[in-house]
Amino acid sequence: MNVTKESHMLCLFKNKKWIVVVSLLFSNLLFLNSSNAEVSVVVHPENSSTFDKSIIKKIFLGKSKSFNNGRVAILLSPAEGDPARQVFNKKVLKKSSNQVNAYWSKMIFTGKGVPPQEMASASDIISAIAANKDAISYIDSTAVTSAVKVVATF
Amino acid sequence: MKIVTITAAILLTALLSSTVVAEIKFSGYGSIVAGKTLGTVNDPLNPGQKRDEILTADFYDVGQYTNDITFNAESIFALQAVAGVGKGFKITAQLVAKGVDDFEPEFDWYYLTYQASDNLTLMAGRRNIPMYYFSEFSEVGYAYPWMRPPSNLYWWQVTQFNGIHAMYDFDWGDYSNTLSFFYGNEYSDDNVEMLYYDKLYGGNARTVNEFWTNITGMNWNISGDNFDVRFVYFQNDRDRETIQQDGSIDDYSPFSQTFIGLGGSVDFEPFTILFDLNFVDYDDARGTEFPTYLISVVYTQDDYQPYVSYSKADHKRTKGSSPTEDLEEHYIASFGLRYNFLPKASFKVQYDHFVDQGHEASGWAYHGDSDTITMGVDFIF
Repeated sequence: MNVTKESHMLCLFKNKKWIVVVSLLFSNLLFLNSSNAEVSVVVHPENSSTFDKSIIKKIFLGKSKSFNNGRVAILLSPAEGDPARQVFNKKVLKKSSNQVNAYWSKMIFTGKGVPPQEMASASDIISAIAANKDAISYIDSTAVTSAVKVVATF
Repeated sequence: MKIVTITAAILLTALLSSTVVAEIKFSGYGSIVAGKTLGTVNDPLNPGQKRDEILTADFYDVGQYTNDITFNAESIFALQAVAGVGKGFKITAQLVAKGVDDFEPEFDWYYLTYQASDNLTLMAGRRNIPMYYFSEFSEVGYAYPWMRPPSNLYWWQVTQFNGIHAMYDFDWGDYSNTLSFFYGNEYSDDNVEMLYYDKLYGGNARTVNEFWTNITGMNWNISGDNFDVRFVYFQNDRDRETIQQDGSIDDYSPFSQTFIGLGGSVDFEPFTILFDLNFVDYDDARGTEFPTYLISVVYTQDDYQPYVSYSKADHKRTKGSSPTEDLEEHYIASFGLRYNFLPKASFKVQYDHFVDQGHEASGWAYHGDSDTITMGVDFIF
């Protein structure tokens, strides 16, 4: 961070009104972004496990390691900054992207968990899932194809 | 320590070169933090003399703030390498460089992980002792809202050990559980914190070696939709060698200690409550006890997370004569703001009000009061 930005932020902290205004603006932007988007949780077509919001949340936080079918889940996620990721974090994990990253940093640096493998695009996710019976991920609903099975939408 | 570091370095180098095609993942974390105390205080150990207020932000390495702005008390950079080495085996090493050590890197973590089954993980090697709720990741600033877990609780002269862990995951209704059992030892030669105390009280020791052995205990972690709570119990043997300039070693009576605690976080959107209750008990001649607790509330509004926290430490002697209550006793009231300006970086500013309530006549009020401001950036990669 450069010095001008830091001192700029310090000014913000001194003036609480600005914090309120800036955060309100920001939350409105987020709200507009996320309200339109729908994400689909996708698995391999042969994965017959059952899913609900709570199961999906546990799987994507690494708290449940396996599907109902007994197989160990392989987690994939869209890249940081992908709007689908923000929507999923907010609607399913009920956390901001930073809170999710903070959670995983605790797991990674204590050796207690590995975050989902980041994929570059929705089409990469689809081909990875089509090729692996134990993979699970989520993508923007408009990107879904018949190569994967949708088990929930949010 | 040097030999261990070199061994680990050789091991890692061997790994890196022999498993060229094996998957090695690098990641890391760091904090760049500057701060200072705001005033002066009557020196509790030298009555009548004034000195800068001092806040010890890192007891283990004695990272302190005084009236002069410093980046060295808490700034840290860590690089982690994880190498898969075959069926279910992984090797993890963390190279950590701290401002208090002039950024000289050391392997603070290196351990082997074996995934014995879907639910059972075994680990062997050097890790942090899972004492307080935040102990294992106390240096990963990005992982928690504050500048640091409150240093008046995270004050121990030993934080790491060489040992084994067994972690078992299971579901209990809707709750995810992890039971961990651990055993290990730490022979902390040239202990920085204990030598600091020796000098603080007018000593001139060459070095102090601190031994925590037979560290044996368990963690039980339970998490649900909106909470994560951890119970901890362990015990260990304590011994110490204070070596004087002439090579003589001070008398010391070894004893055992038990550590018990309950800590965690509970979400009540948009608020998060973080807490830790702990009790340390020595079986020494004085019946020493350290009850401590932390309570903190964080408010999350998108990328802004203002917070308050209160941490209190007490020290009692339940047997023998002389002052038995309020020996080393202090609290820190803190407030601050975490601003997540990038997905993997946050800016923090924190104000700490430290009040020393210790017993001055017996020398236990050695911290002195302080008001401290710190600001910095925590990041992961």
